[in-house]
Parts: sequence; structure tokens; C-alpha cells
Amino acid sequence: MKDELAKRLVQGLKEAGINFVTYLPETRLSQIVPLIRDDPEMELVAVSSEQEAVTIAVGATLGGKQAAVYMENTGIYVSSYSLLVTGKQLGVPILLVVGFLGGVPDQRNSFLYATIGNHTIPVLQGLGIEYQLLENGERLEARIKDAVRAANALRAPYALLFAGEFSE
Amino acid sequence: MIRHECLELLAKRVSDQLIVTSQSGQRIEWSHLSKHEGNLLVGMMGCAIGVATGLALALPHRKVIALDSDGSVLLSLFNLATLGNLQPKNLVIYVFDNGVYSGSRISYPTATSGNADLEAMARGAGIKNAQTIRTVEEFNKHGIGALTRNELAFFVCKVEESLLHREIPRPNTDLAENKYTFVRYLERTEEKTIPFVGRG
Repeated sequence: MKDELAKRLVQGLKEAGINFVTYLPETRLSQIVPLIRDDPEMELVAVSSEQEAVTIAVGATLGGKQAAVYMENTGIYVSSYSLLVTGKQLGVPILLVVGFLGGVPDQRNSFLYATIGNHTIPVLQGLGIEYQLLENGERLEARIKDAVRAANALRAPYALLFAGEFSE
Repeated sequence: MIRHECLELLAKRVSDQLIVTSQSGQRIEWSHLSKHEGNLLVGMMGCAIGVATGLALALPHRKVIALDSDGSVLLSLFNLATLGNLQPKNLVIYVFDNGVYSGSRISYPTATSGNADLEAMARGAGIKNAQTIRTVEEFNKHGIGALTRNELAFFVCKVEESLLHREIPRPNTDLAENKYTFVRYLERTEEKTIPFVGRG
């Protein structure tokens, strides 16, 4: 991902009100981590599993933060239980910022990732989690803002899957 | 020592703390003992410590309590490593360790009935104030005492298996009702709007 796109992604999160981010880093979007870390208006929380990335973000949301979780799409599988019971069942909005490895638009796709990518959208659909696929920076800030608004309105997690230019 | 004895002591000390419970008999016992609006009765195992950690980070001036069980903590051991690094000073965790999966109705043993030691795991993860409690007196002195200190605390409360919760009426508030009571209480006591609640 070009540095400019990473900056716009983080700025888009800020403009959408995101002020608390839990994360387990991955390869495609990792440039956003130091940008969030160095921003005094955003709190960045490193975790050991995507399962707790979700539960910690849910707790922060209940405590008044507008929270996001940054993870690889493998994290959707790892955290599916907590997404279901704390995100969906309890009804708490969090934004999922997901590096979409192995999807068709993943510019670094290979046999290592294709199976992972192939099942991501069906799993999100199975969990009843709404999502958007982003392949370029067109209307990036607006799409992030739309996603946060939708999450709050739905009282549920909402996923943004980043591939295409974001995976270059 | 049984769990209910500890919870009775704790209920007497609740004022404005936020209490997150895991799924297990403790959820039923706590909801019976405490009608505090700051109770969040998370309905499933393996999630309470994470949710409590998020609350503690979002509201660092507010004491947050997590009530959990051995089976539940064993599902989410990664929480210990994360807490060992985050060190939220306003979080107190009580793990009621009866050594069995009581809800299984066959009291199948958990790993803590064998060689697993949750206190040692927590210490190894960097939680300095991790302690095993075996008597009600110790719970009152150390466990309740932690509520007035400004330090992350992790108590493994070794309790006998008790089926008292099966004689107590289960809470009749559903998860959404409980969530809204909780966030409205926070809005009132924090004098701020919780963003996601929004207005129709």
C-alpha cells in the first residue's frame, strides 16, 4: 500500500470518529499501525488474539469509545465466537478493518492464502455481519464513515475488507 | 469456601464499580445478590475479561471488576499475556476456580484440577498481583481489599463446587435490556453520551 493511501485510511478512521483501535498486525495494511500509534487522539491496544481484540473493543465501545479492530481475515475465523456473542448477540457496534488475504483482488494472492480468502465472505455472511470490499482509494473516507454509521445504526460489527491497491 | 460466600461479601462493597460477569453459576448468583445498574452479565464463557479490559481502558478513573471461572479463563488464556502488558490499574479480576465444568452436569474436571495453576500463569504473563485465595477470610482481606488499591489484581479463588445457583431464579433481563441499563447508567454517572446508543 502506498504511504499516501495508508495516511488517508487512518485519517478516514479519525474523521469517522474512531478513537480506539485493538489490533493484531498482518502484512497488507500494517503501515497504519505506526500512524495510529503516533496519533494522540487515537488509542492503540496490542492484543494476543483476535478473539480478545473483539471483546476489548466491545468493552471500550460500551465505555464510550468508538472502537475498531484491525486484523487479518484469518482473524475473522479466530474471533467468530466473540463476534457472535459480544458483537451480534449483545448488539455492540465495532468497525472491523480487515486485510483481505487470498481474495480474488488480493494483489499478493498465492496458494498460501487462497483458501483463507475464499471462505471469508461466506463466514461473514454466516455470522450476519455486513461488509464492504474496498479495492482502491475512491471515496475511501466516505466509505469508512458510512461503515461506522451503519455499525452504530445496526448495533453490530461491520467489516471493511481491504484488497486491490491496499494489498500492493 | 463456596463462591456465593465471596459474592455476598463483594455485593456489600459495590457502589459505583462496573461489574462484568462471565457465563456460569456465578452469573445467576451475582444477578440475585446485586441489582446494581453497573452489572453487565455477559452471557457466554471466555469473553468477560476482554470486555472488562476494554471498559477499564475506556474509563481509567472507574474501578472495573470481572467475575470469571476457571473453565472460562482457560478458554481465553491469551487475556493474561495482554493484561500483563497493558496493566490497567483499575481492573480487579476474581476467578472462581472450582476445578470442574459445573454446567456440564457431570462435573467434568477442568485443567486446574490437574496440573494447571492459573496464578502461576498470570504471574508468568506479567501480572504481578496474582494471588490464590483459599478462605473467606483471605477473600475479605486481600480480594475485597484490592478494590481500594490502584493496581491490576488477579485473584484465583479456590472454591468447592456448589450447586446453589440451580436453586436461585435465573435473571429475567435479556442481554439487550441489560446492555441498555448498563450504558444508560454510565451515561448518567459519567455525564456523557455513549456514541453508539445514538438517538432515533
